[in-house]
Amino acid sequence: MIEMKNLTKKFGNFTAVDHLNLIIETGEFFGLLGTNGAGKTTTISMISTVLIPTEGEILIDGNLLTRKKSDQKRKLSVVTQEYSMRMDMNMDEVMEYQGRLYFLPKKVIKEKTEQLLEFAGLSPFRKRTVRHLSGGMRRKLMICRALMIEPEILLLDEPTAGMDAIARRQMWNLLRQLNGHNLTIILTTHYIDEAQSLCNRVALMDQGTLKKVDTPNNFISELGEFAVDQMIDDSLKSSYFNNRSEAIHYLEGLSENAAMRNTTLEDVFIETVGKRLPEK
Amino acid sequence: MGIITVLWEKWTEFKRDFYKITLAAMISPLMYLLIFGLGIQTTSHGEPYMNFLIPGIVAMSTMTGSFSAVAQNMSVQRLYEKALDQVMVSPTPLWQFVLGQIIGGCLRGMYAAGIILLMTMPVRTGLIFNGWSFFIMFLNGTVFSTIALALSFFAKSYTDAPRYNAYIIVPMSFICNIFFSLDQMPNGFRQVVSLLPLSQASGMIREISVGGSPTLFGVVILFVYIAVFLSISVVFIYQKKNL
Repeated sequence: MIEMKNLTKKFGNFTAVDHLNLIIETGEFFGLLGTNGAGKTTTISMISTVLIPTEGEILIDGNLLTRKKSDQKRKLSVVTQEYSMRMDMNMDEVMEYQGRLYFLPKKVIKEKTEQLLEFAGLSPFRKRTVRHLSGGMRRKLMICRALMIEPEILLLDEPTAGMDAIARRQMWNLLRQLNGHNLTIILTTHYIDEAQSLCNRVALMDQGTLKKVDTPNNFISELGEFAVDQMIDDSLKSSYFNNRSEAIHYLEGLSENAAMRNTTLEDVFIETVGKRLPEK
Repeated sequence: MGIITVLWEKWTEFKRDFYKITLAAMISPLMYLLIFGLGIQTTSHGEPYMNFLIPGIVAMSTMTGSFSAVAQNMSVQRLYEKALDQVMVSPTPLWQFVLGQIIGGCLRGMYAAGIILLMTMPVRTGLIFNGWSFFIMFLNGTVFSTIALALSFFAKSYTDAPRYNAYIIVPMSFICNIFFSLDQMPNGFRQVVSLLPLSQASGMIREISVGGSPTLFGVVILFVYIAVFLSISVVFIYQKKNL
């Protein structure tokens, strides 16, 4: 279990994360959603100890997490938003470096490298340096690297950014499988369909503060399961209904430029966070 | 164990860039030896100038080799590649990472100095390089890789590393007992420069090369530098809020 208590991070006068209180249970697939600058990456960076909180604390299974606590850090693995790898290392070296940093025996490192690179379809490129890999390949390699150590908690900061649709779906399947093995996953993403498809619970963040936490289904039910979109003066307006017949009745009273559909987590996100943002 | 991991990482880098590293370590010292040692043939303290120059160039190579190996590598890892994040998240104790960087940098400095010794072997100078010489070279390399590590944590951009070179390494190369003796410096300035690590290292290597031994004062000065900059690096990596 990960517990964040009054977690705050300031950069000078700017507050990136403001008194965040959150509990993530063991085995949960948890999503952090928010606009750019909402504080998602800063939160992940604090959990991974790259950043030290200005205020507050993080507990893992009741124990305080700090840079000095090797036993706590052993449970964590992270896929950062940026390609945090030595550019001149080849895939085998990237994997070996990771294994050595986590004190894995050489034999295990070799076996895991074979297994994970094969699984990710990266084996034919294993002697290629990171510098010469495509963005998607680098992402896959980062996931392989993170999984090598069999973590208890996996932090994923926009893991599918830059991936094509097929690679994204493959990644989703992989993450589902991993979560099935009781791995706790914290995911930040800009793809809200990704969070809706994968996460048990989702937190909506805005300007460093936590707005709401709930399951995607509860969020949708709260807003209304059916959405009716209509174009008014070149801008889209959506109305939400809990009952299909109510939605149909409303739709019938509208002009041609209207349609009904199921509400998505993206609607919840826009209604919660987007309302603050000025319309373009 | 974490130290071995860092040394392994340095070894992979060394194997990959062997020719670049070796050439870079050779070119400047070779130029100095050719121009000042062979081209401008003169004497110093009644001895051929080459005999004065070689121990200084050995000390200088240890400094530049160690400093550039750590300063450049760490700045790029921390600010450009963000590869330091991988280390920060891992359970490898950070003090072991720091020590690994310092030892790795020092070994690169020793390698650079070793090349100079090999290159100057055919020149029959009669200079002595023994265990004490290597001990001082090791200390000197440790001093400058420790300074490089501490400075790399202060760097705001990965282009700062070459600037540190210009601010620290180049001036030290010219004033610290490499090309001319500190005795020729004006009072006051001489005392300050003599407290710089390279002055002590080159002085001691030169003294050993003519059959003397290192001074306790010189060794203590080098250890003081190591202690100060090692403390800065360790405090930084554990306490710095935004790495």
